[in-house]
Amino acid sequence: MKDIIQIKNISFNYPEQEKLFNNFSMNIQEGKWTAIIGQNGSGKSTLARLIDGLIVLKSGQIIVDGLTVNDTNIFEIRNKIGMVFQNPEDQFVGATVEDDVAFGLENRQVPREQMHQIVEQSLRQVGMWDFRDRIPANLSGGQKQRVAIAGIIALSPKIIILDEATSMLDPRGRQDILKLVNQIKRENNLTVISITHDIDEAAGADQVIVVNQGQVVEADQPDHIFGDIEKLTSIGLSAPFTSELLSALKKRGIDSHSQYLNDERLITWIKQLISKK
Amino acid sequence: MDQTINFKEVTHTYQPDTPFAQNALNQVSLTIASGSFTAIIGHTGSGKSTLVQHINALLKPTMGEIEVSGRTITPATTNKNLKQLRKHVGMVFQFPEKQLFEETVIKDVMFGPKNYGASDQEARADAKQAMALVGLDEDLQEKSPFDLSGGQMRRVAIAGVLAMKPEILILDEPTAGLDPRGHKEIMDLAEDLHEHQGMTIILVTHQMDDVVDYASDVIVMDQGKIVKHGRPQEIFADPQWVYQMHLDLPSSAEFASRLITAGVPLKSVPLTIDKLADAIVEVVQGGHGHE
Amino acid sequence: MSNFLFGRYLPGNSWVHQMSPQSKLMLSFYFVVVIFFANNIWTYAALSVLILMVVLMSGVSIGYFLKGIRPLIWLIIFTVLLQILFSSGGHVYWHFGPFSVSDTSLINGGFIFIRFLLIIMISTVLTLTTTPLAIADGVQTVLRPLKKVHFPVDTLALMLSIALRFVPTLMDEMETILNAQRSRGVDFGSGSLRHRIQAAVPLLVPLFTGAINHAENLSTAMEARGFTDSEHRSKYRIYRWQRKDTISWAVFLLVGVLVLFIRKS
Repeated sequence: MKDIIQIKNISFNYPEQEKLFNNFSMNIQEGKWTAIIGQNGSGKSTLARLIDGLIVLKSGQIIVDGLTVNDTNIFEIRNKIGMVFQNPEDQFVGATVEDDVAFGLENRQVPREQMHQIVEQSLRQVGMWDFRDRIPANLSGGQKQRVAIAGIIALSPKIIILDEATSMLDPRGRQDILKLVNQIKRENNLTVISITHDIDEAAGADQVIVVNQGQVVEADQPDHIFGDIEKLTSIGLSAPFTSELLSALKKRGIDSHSQYLNDERLITWIKQLISKK
Repeated sequence: MDQTINFKEVTHTYQPDTPFAQNALNQVSLTIASGSFTAIIGHTGSGKSTLVQHINALLKPTMGEIEVSGRTITPATTNKNLKQLRKHVGMVFQFPEKQLFEETVIKDVMFGPKNYGASDQEARADAKQAMALVGLDEDLQEKSPFDLSGGQMRRVAIAGVLAMKPEILILDEPTAGLDPRGHKEIMDLAEDLHEHQGMTIILVTHQMDDVVDYASDVIVMDQGKIVKHGRPQEIFADPQWVYQMHLDLPSSAEFASRLITAGVPLKSVPLTIDKLADAIVEVVQGGHGHE
Repeated sequence: MSNFLFGRYLPGNSWVHQMSPQSKLMLSFYFVVVIFFANNIWTYAALSVLILMVVLMSGVSIGYFLKGIRPLIWLIIFTVLLQILFSSGGHVYWHFGPFSVSDTSLINGGFIFIRFLLIIMISTVLTLTTTPLAIADGVQTVLRPLKKVHFPVDTLALMLSIALRFVPTLMDEMETILNAQRSRGVDFGSGSLRHRIQAAVPLLVPLFTGAINHAENLSTAMEARGFTDSEHRSKYRIYRWQRKDTISWAVFLLVGVLVLFIRKS
């Protein structure tokens, strides 16, 4: 399993603030969905920006698909990474949906003759082609995020970073976006990094990295992390629903003996309990 | 004072007398009990925002009338009298930190009381009280609100509303964009204001778990009308109906619904984890020796 | 409020709608210049006929144009009155102190009035038939020759289009801020002038701060989306010169020449 992103011994702090990352290292596996979770201020969003070279390291190195993040490589690196930001409003550059998707293509001087097809394809993939003439003020947050995703896939990146991309959406909007990104990941064999404080978003990940105060607290599969309700709440996160339910059942004498079960497995287990009687 | 809110056949038309005229509210009649914690839910465009903006008279009805805080608002009510009403009905908008503007935190929180004639001294005292209520440290008083974190800025904005000591407080998606800790803190604050300050709380939200955990009364809106009004148990009793309204179920009810679909014969649709656990235990331990 | 059509653009497929924005911009400018050569009833008549033709070709009802005049009506009346009361020469009908009304001044007043109408109507046609984005694009095309002197034409055009894109958004935010401050007891519409100016602060500061936040976040997003500089980008939308543009120019130029001939020398 290749590491597509390597973060090596980085140090970083915001001006006038104490060190956020001190000799921090982490790797992201290619082709996987990695969730980086932590409360606000944990450093998770900063990581996303360091990877994309939007802010500069004090020391250490970040390597993205074989390229070191520096001024020389940054344009190429940003070709490989598509980033969806938290505020749907503030990444929408174009006057209309169509124009916004074209923005990234224009930046890369894609010839005009090719643009129309790419824009249409990308918008169709996210289900927004019918909205191509709309202005952003007439779109919901979820719709704007879809357009952002279209703008990204128009450039065929290898990596998609969701920088708290769902935190300003309502529950339904959140689900839609995650489903969409999942679909695109599968269809295009992409690597996804999702930066979030939403535990349910992390539940679908292959790998979960828990950060707090600039440190990795845990890095493992969801199953091994989600069982520890206390730990999660102590660092400002919430536990997944199924973990809380399992804990409540255990208190009532029904013990699953599992650390964590996702929705489907929990339902299956409960059914088994009943048929056993 | 009795803070019951009454809507009598209220209709609100946007852009009346034009080809774009639209009824955002359609003959809405409802009563919100004094001292209650009421949640207003409904899909986007159902009229929730329009409804609550009538309660503090940011909007006036096109037809019908509203009784709130001892005043009656009709289409004929002039704007002059409405300012006083807004002292008693506080409104916290979504992302309220966007309204901050003063040089210092304390000045911003004092802004509301001063607009209502409080002296500098009185306003400062009210502001300090409000800051304590929302859990803001005293040494933040002289800082610029723009130097604070997002969560702190939100609390400053809420303090700015609370400083006017409203009896009724409307919260429009107060937890939008917050992490789980921030979310819990804001909702606990709302609960505190309800239990210990005796405020009538009106919560507009998409978070059904919050509705179950905090509200005693739920109003469901659809296309400018009230389609259901009752306790959470009544509202979420029928999952199919909830989905038809383009709404979500609270997490426990959602999971229970899935269990039932999968063949687990739960006797009810519980709204909380504890009740769900009880229901599961009942099914697992009851029913011995069946097919 | 974002449904408020910025610049009151009305979608349509008329002759004028289909013209390229760069020629519409230049024709509007040209028309205004020609207006200043008009100085008698014949020249004004010619220009009026032309503008009425344009209005007809735009497919927009005359009502919209009248609406365009309404906000400026006091300015117009004031200026016309100035002309009537202060210009000198001709047969005086009435005077009182510094004021004097003569046949010349009445005619001048009339001419000023027509000038206002003509200018308002040409600019209204422009904004009714051209989207803000198209206008920005037209500006970019018109200014392109300035690239030779290293004037940042593309940067300007991008700035313009981003600013225009944010107008409906900022208007929505303004409404929310107004409501939020009203809910805190601010009364925006009433009180002394000083009071009203003070009331602008809780509106303008959050609006500006919000705009700056948008700008900061947007620039980060633009960087992430591969933006380096505005001068080396391809273009998705191109508004090509149409045959309708050529014909319209021919007509306008003819009228311009006509005006030069029939004006009072």
